[in-house]
Amino acid sequence: MSLRTRPLVGLALLLLLVVIPPAPAPAADDVKIALVAPLSGRWARQGQLKKMGAEMAIEEINAQGGIKALGGAKLVLREADAGDSVEKAVSAAQRVLTRDKIAAGIGSWLSSFTLGVTEVAERLQVPWLTLSYADSITERGFKYTFQTSPVSSLQAEQALELVTELAKKNNRPIKKAAIVGDNTAATVFFFKPLREKLLAAKGIELVVDEVWTPPLADATAIAQKLRATQPDIVFYGATNFPDSIQVLQKVKEFGVKSPIQGVGAWLVTPEYVKTLGKEMLDSIQTVVATHPMKGQEEFVKKFTQRTGEPFMTQDPLCTYGHVWLIKEAIEQAKSADPKAIRDALAKIDLTSGPAASSFYPNRIKFDERGRRIGATPLIVQWQGGEPFTVVPAAVATRPVVWHK
Amino acid sequence: MVLAELVQYVATGLLVGGVYALMSIGLALIFGVMRVVNFAQGDFMMLGMYLTYFYAMSGIDPLLGAILTIPPFFVLGWLVHRGLLARVTGGGDPQRQMDAQLILTLGLSLVITNATTMILTPTPRGIRTAYATQAFALGPVLLNQARSYAFAMALVLAAAVYVFLTRTDAGRALRAAADDPEAASYQGIDVRAMHGLAFGVGIALVAAAGGLLATYYPIEPSVAGNFIVLMFVAVVLGGLGSIPGAFVGGLVIGLVQSLTLLVLPFQLQNTGVFIVFLLVLYLRPQGLFGRRARTV
Repeated sequence: MSLRTRPLVGLALLLLLVVIPPAPAPAADDVKIALVAPLSGRWARQGQLKKMGAEMAIEEINAQGGIKALGGAKLVLREADAGDSVEKAVSAAQRVLTRDKIAAGIGSWLSSFTLGVTEVAERLQVPWLTLSYADSITERGFKYTFQTSPVSSLQAEQALELVTELAKKNNRPIKKAAIVGDNTAATVFFFKPLREKLLAAKGIELVVDEVWTPPLADATAIAQKLRATQPDIVFYGATNFPDSIQVLQKVKEFGVKSPIQGVGAWLVTPEYVKTLGKEMLDSIQTVVATHPMKGQEEFVKKFTQRTGEPFMTQDPLCTYGHVWLIKEAIEQAKSADPKAIRDALAKIDLTSGPAASSFYPNRIKFDERGRRIGATPLIVQWQGGEPFTVVPAAVATRPVVWHK
Repeated sequence: MVLAELVQYVATGLLVGGVYALMSIGLALIFGVMRVVNFAQGDFMMLGMYLTYFYAMSGIDPLLGAILTIPPFFVLGWLVHRGLLARVTGGGDPQRQMDAQLILTLGLSLVITNATTMILTPTPRGIRTAYATQAFALGPVLLNQARSYAFAMALVLAAAVYVFLTRTDAGRALRAAADDPEAASYQGIDVRAMHGLAFGVGIALVAAAGGLLATYYPIEPSVAGNFIVLMFVAVVLGGLGSIPGAFVGGLVIGLVQSLTLLVLPFQLQNTGVFIVFLLVLYLRPQGLFGRRARTV
């Protein structure tokens, strides 16, 4: 560099410093919460939906004056990409929890990921909230894991109860059932009790039992078996979107008319309408941990306007509730210390406010394992290209329609 | 009934394999001519799916859209070669070149996937076609229409590539550059230009395969991960660098995936593929169509 150009470069650098403001650093008393969710890979859409819910809650909390017990401290979200494997999810959790002082964490959607991530949180003693369903998440004696969703086995029991009742009411009793889905943790725990005891206890024969490891190469063999056996109900768990689309397309191609009962909110995302059309989805139903309920219309409108999503589902709603729940726990603990927040969560008993109204029933209290007491699944059904809560009737936004 | 079932499994396997075959020949061409292992091949396929999607949104039938991805992706491939790959191919220490190529194509794959996730969001998209959920019925055997069309077009494109390589001057020059770059350059063949041509055609083919796939398979930034391993297996199975080999390799994979289900549960579907892969490597290390010398 010549002597003549050097001052010019110096000046340019100085100008850059003046023109580009430094990234806003969080104030010292900000409270950081972690969101470890898949933001890339085959479950990235779910992570994106979770992030939308978290951001909405944080914006609301900060706009309302932050955390009052901490002098109006603001909440800050630290997100980490869980990617598409358990290893990536675990390393993301490790990274985010060791790099920053995190008060509490949320994640990681897929039960298989959550099982790994909660191990990290337990070791680092950071309270962790999850919407994942797998029973094993809260069967390990962990002190820092809190599961707001009803566990998979409970969902299986209630879903079976409901569909057998509905089918009977419609004079089409269930005699034959099929199990079709992938082998991710939540699905495994949903299918296990059905396969081992629940179906047999109701005298239902299991005629198809097909489980795969995502991604699914082709669904022809599944559709073929369903066509050959004509089950009265298909219990369905395909968490990976392309897998699910292939199965549903094939089911239509092969003219299979069996009603479909899914497990999880992956079956009610807007892209299903765009890819399959609303007619194909009509009356497909799924059991979820939460979904917008009666009385939440204004809230849902706010969400759809904010995000451009056509409707709200479990993933943003649950994560929204989780952020508010962390806020409430911090208020009660009067501290941003993770251990104090964990103790507050263990004792909390909420029945009103944004956190409680995000879940059904509207009460948040955890048992000694970290499971939400009384957590009951909702049934959501596609009707006219939109998924509505149909069961339980008390919070349903539409009446349930049995498969024609 | 048992026979009908077997025929259904074979037909499904071949239809699935047809698109694997088209995906794989682009990869084989690039490897055969340039000795470059392109890890970003699946990502170019994903971009081809998106372009077909955007064509479909503007009213172009996706089957035509798949063909229309060829010219822009040929240019894209040529530019990527000119701007990036040419710097790490064609001379120098072979080991260092190989390392640089691996890092470059792997890096390119990460950049393309993540840039697509950022720009187009991770929301999956799908092209709704009537033929995705309809089938041609041959007695009790159903042939999915979308897959049948995709299979037929894959055959046509593969045949076109074969004719191009064996019947045209440019194709012959390409093969000469693959067989012996040094001798080819003495014959007045611009080996660097041939590499550009091979990369352009290889990328255009995989983009077209993506377009055909998009007629029945959802599109998302991470979709490449579902196919890239199978593409590599097809190429190695057929014999590294052999175009007919890659084509047959693709068909074999589809067929094995489908027939495996007759004896193994769904969870072990790809196990069948890898068992066949290991058997072929054990019995015929150069692959089904491979020979020791480099070939296209």
